Amino acid sequence: MAEPLTDTAGAAGGPAFRLRRSVGRRVVTVLTVLVHRALLLAVLLAVVFAAVELLPGDAATATAERGESAAGIAGRRALLGLDRPVAERFADWMAGLPTGDLGTSARGEPVAGLLARPFPDTLLLGGLALLVTFLASLALGGWAALRPGGRTDRAVSGGATAVLALPEFVVAVALVLVFAQWLEWLPAVTLAGGDGGPESWRMLVLPVVALAVPQIGWNTRIVRAALADEARAPHVEAAVLDGLPGHRVLLRHVLPGALPAIAAGLATSTGMLLGGAVVVETVFNHPGLGTVLAGAVSDRDGPVIAGVVAVAGAVVTGVLLLADLVRARASGGRP
Amino acid sequence: MTPPTSVTPPTAARLRSALPALFLVLLAAAGPWLSPHPVDVPVTAPYAGAGGGAPLGGDQLGRDVLSRLLAGGRELVASSLAVAALVTATAAVLGTVAALRPRAGRVVDRAADVLMLLPPVLGLLLVALSWPAGGRLAPALAAYVLGVPYAVRLVAAAAAPVVASGYVEAAVTGGERLGHLVVREVLPNLRATVLALFGLRFVAAVYVVATAGFLQVGPRPPAADWALMIRENAGGILLNPWAVLAPSLAIGLLAMSVNLAAAALGGV
Repeated sequence: MAEPLTDTAGAAGGPAFRLRRSVGRRVVTVLTVLVHRALLLAVLLAVVFAAVELLPGDAATATAERGESAAGIAGRRALLGLDRPVAERFADWMAGLPTGDLGTSARGEPVAGLLARPFPDTLLLGGLALLVTFLASLALGGWAALRPGGRTDRAVSGGATAVLALPEFVVAVALVLVFAQWLEWLPAVTLAGGDGGPESWRMLVLPVVALAVPQIGWNTRIVRAALADEARAPHVEAAVLDGLPGHRVLLRHVLPGALPAIAAGLATSTGMLLGGAVVVETVFNHPGLGTVLAGAVSDRDGPVIAGVVAVAGAVVTGVLLLADLVRARASGGRP
Repeated sequence: MTPPTSVTPPTAARLRSALPALFLVLLAAAGPWLSPHPVDVPVTAPYAGAGGGAPLGGDQLGRDVLSRLLAGGRELVASSLAVAALVTATAAVLGTVAALRPRAGRVVDRAADVLMLLPPVLGLLLVALSWPAGGRLAPALAAYVLGVPYAVRLVAAAAAPVVASGYVEAAVTGGERLGHLVVREVLPNLRATVLALFGLRFVAAVYVVATAGFLQVGPRPPAADWALMIRENAGGILLNPWAVLAPSLAIGLLAMSVNLAAAALGGV
């Protein structure tokens, strides 16, 4: 990740001037980080648009009815605007994105409309999993870091390494077998309620845990490593020598310095959680983007996939932005 | 970023930790020869319980679960190994070049930053969509493209201290060519990093290729494939849990053992 460019000039002058300078510096930091992340997202979208564009055939031929005449296909191509130059269509697509217009699917429906209902469900699943990941990895990583090299540390670190590479659907199947089939504690299938979302919160438990387990493994290792690094800092040693209790040293003196690394780890998990949510939804028949994406792949509906990538990319960008800001704050505006 | 790993060669204890992973890979490779029944012919009732000629029961069509389990890992493991080898080779060269040439390093950094915004599953679907005729190669390509930038960044980080060492600087000032610097001067000192990277990329490839099988964008029925088996037999999980549990365990154990081996080999 790039270091956010910040104003490093020393503050001179009276207290009021210094205050104004520090506010200005913070605004500059936020803006720089924002522009940097927005540019990266724009590059990704260009790549995705190009990938969809390079497909042999296009949306008009992919959704053609059997025996449809060439003239009919050409007509639909004109209707969907596919006969215009690539650059023009890309510019149009990009210009529409900030206003929430994600383009038109191969069947002629607005992509934003297609995603409006399932996306919040997927986002809820991913968001809850991110929250669970954050809390569990902080607790486990902190527990392991209390006594580096001890029995707890080895058990937690080993367990984390073992689960971090598991595909989500494998975890999901194991959870279904144990908690739904054998213990019968939680439902194995999500039933849709009146509003199209899950009928009860109990149907969210297994999907969220299945999503979170591998990411808890990944982030526990990051939390533990970040805490152990920070624990070697001189100011922490001073706090220990002052006789402060262990948990106070951990929360007040070690954790603040370790936060940027922890935030960056969680940000990398966001994309995994969003993608994993699509897979886990399939296991539980959970309403969400999974169904839309499966349909889009079989219809070869590029615009829908590009739209999903755009929205998911925006969400990941948002979380990365938060991680950037956590780091900028921790470094006190120093690069 | 991952700290540079030690440059000492792996010890016997570290190598021993790779044995479970090695055993599973060999078992998956030899599996198709060990299958007691053909993988595409029903030998029992659909979702029949364990017993008789089928120790793990039957699948949705009554085919022998044990035979399909033995046969269903070879291609998953082979394509993951191929992807891991290609990603590691690419990353070893490009990562070292990135460390020697800071401008190239920045390009790699940006590419990894961009790719970080693309959830791997969506990248997989994008490739599967763009290349419907790709079959098993499509997920392999996705795993390669998604894996390279991170791997290059990891090698570049590990190569940085080596590049800064005196003898490499001497070789640079001596006018050695880039190819010589990469292959003869820097890479030999990154053996542990490259070995660990290979293990990590193998696990990541298993993740992508297996997820592709589960999402039915890789291998097609009636192929025997662990991930596909889980998807196909999920409907009969009550009647014959083994049809789902056995392939899940296989993928789970493979991912876990390889990751633990990579962690031990890399000393991380």
